Amino acid sequence: MKQPRFPAVLFGLTLVFLLGPFVVILLSSFSADSIMRFPPSGFSLEWYQKVFNIRMFRTTFWISLKTGLAATFTALALGVPVAYALVRYSFRGKTALEVFFSSPAIVPGLVIGFSLLRFFIFVTKVPIGMGLYFGHTAILFPYAVRVVSASLRNFDPAVEEAAVSLGSTRLHTFFAVVVPNVRSGLVAAFILAFITSFNNVPISLFLTGPGVATLPIQMLVYMEYYFDPTISALSSIIIVFTILIVQGAERALGITNYL
Amino acid sequence: MNQLNLKRTLTLLILPGAIFLLLFFLVPLLFVFAESFRDAEGALTLARYGEVLSDRQFRHVYLRTLKIALIVTPLAVLLGYPSAYVIVRLPVGRKSLLMSLVILPLMTSPVARTFAWIVVLGRFGIVNETLRALRLVQEPARLLYTEGAIVVGLLQLFLPIMVLTLVSALENVQDDVEEAALSLGSSRLGSFFRVLVPLSYDGLIMGVTLVFTGCITAYVTPAILGGTKVLTLATLMRLESLVLMNWEAGTVIAVVMIVTTLVLYNGLRIYRPRNL
Repeated sequence: MKQPRFPAVLFGLTLVFLLGPFVVILLSSFSADSIMRFPPSGFSLEWYQKVFNIRMFRTTFWISLKTGLAATFTALALGVPVAYALVRYSFRGKTALEVFFSSPAIVPGLVIGFSLLRFFIFVTKVPIGMGLYFGHTAILFPYAVRVVSASLRNFDPAVEEAAVSLGSTRLHTFFAVVVPNVRSGLVAAFILAFITSFNNVPISLFLTGPGVATLPIQMLVYMEYYFDPTISALSSIIIVFTILIVQGAERALGITNYL
Repeated sequence: MNQLNLKRTLTLLILPGAIFLLLFFLVPLLFVFAESFRDAEGALTLARYGEVLSDRQFRHVYLRTLKIALIVTPLAVLLGYPSAYVIVRLPVGRKSLLMSLVILPLMTSPVARTFAWIVVLGRFGIVNETLRALRLVQEPARLLYTEGAIVVGLLQLFLPIMVLTLVSALENVQDDVEEAALSLGSSRLGSFFRVLVPLSYDGLIMGVTLVFTGCITAYVTPAILGGTKVLTLATLMRLESLVLMNWEAGTVIAVVMIVTTLVLYNGLRIYRPRNL
């Protein structure tokens, strides 16, 4: 289709605005200066070395990774059956349930984190690390349900019925017929949920304490005390990984269709 | 499947997830909500609301947060519509590539993304160095820790959401609708406002709702680009509860934030001009 020039120019400027800062931070991470200066006065890999030498970044990276994986698996294990029920069956109260299961995405994360902290401290006495895991699982729930539902809706229930009428049990049919057919939806849900957990700040802000912090929280703490390009280097590493994951997921699964 | 069986299957599928969200989401929320109406002895009171809502700093911060959202949202529409318009008309392969570039700010760690603006807007950042090289300023201008910095950071974060919503709305509009308007003598701008906008109106409202409520609740962007100098509702809530240990105020701000979000979320979607 013919592209009129004016919107195309605006779109170009929009892309520069959206992506320009990423280019700037990549360049600044190789700086030889010890303050944030752009353009940098020289080239060095000092800051990348420093990222790997700071123990708190390593510790919190592992906490983020573990929390993200555990929360993602739990959210999928609990959310996939819900998505299946919501797509395959019609029953009374279905709309209310749909709203309920998507509500952790509507309620502000800061409020969820705050309430969980208050509740855990005053009522249930859950240890902070467990609280972090529960909180992350709760906010990933809507992603699991929504993305898997979208993919289940595109799968013909007749295929499933055929397997059942040929003598397969419902449970076996689910794993042998349904799961392979919605595989790309499951992978997309996994990637989106994991990224969401790994990047999360509002929930983690309240559910971290001495010794238990996630990587983004540790980065925020570091920034309060030091103002050198270490965060640029760490951010660049994270940005490059995000680009690789998003590009890969877009090529393989068309992940933008699931957002 | 008979009724009894259906009931059993549904219970098995839904109950575990429902119990989890009840315990680790809904009950804690209701707990905080109930707590905001109680005093230290547990008696019902509105005193906490009176205290926070009559506080000048709170009202100032609340209005500033709304103001920032009111600036970011129209800018997101203004830049989002042309972008979505261009993306929808691209061939599949290039469309997918550009979409994955557009969503990058949304997928990257918010700390990394926001820190990039420090490099751009800082004292010795790219903007200040350019201004100085052009001899437009003598001393570096203060760009960080301003409302403007927060607006810029939030726009980068939420523009992708606007574009995504508008792209899916415009995809549902038939290709030839615009051609028809043009061939009937409408100008491009005329057909845009009188044909494409009305046909993608629901998507536009959805995008506006998401961006506006997102601006009110965003934390990382105002925390890094506004600091404690330029507080918003979210950073004020963190300051009161985690730094000043004033949990009562934190609770009230949490309720105010959620009520504001829900009112906007439902209010904006109900509103529909009569001629559309």
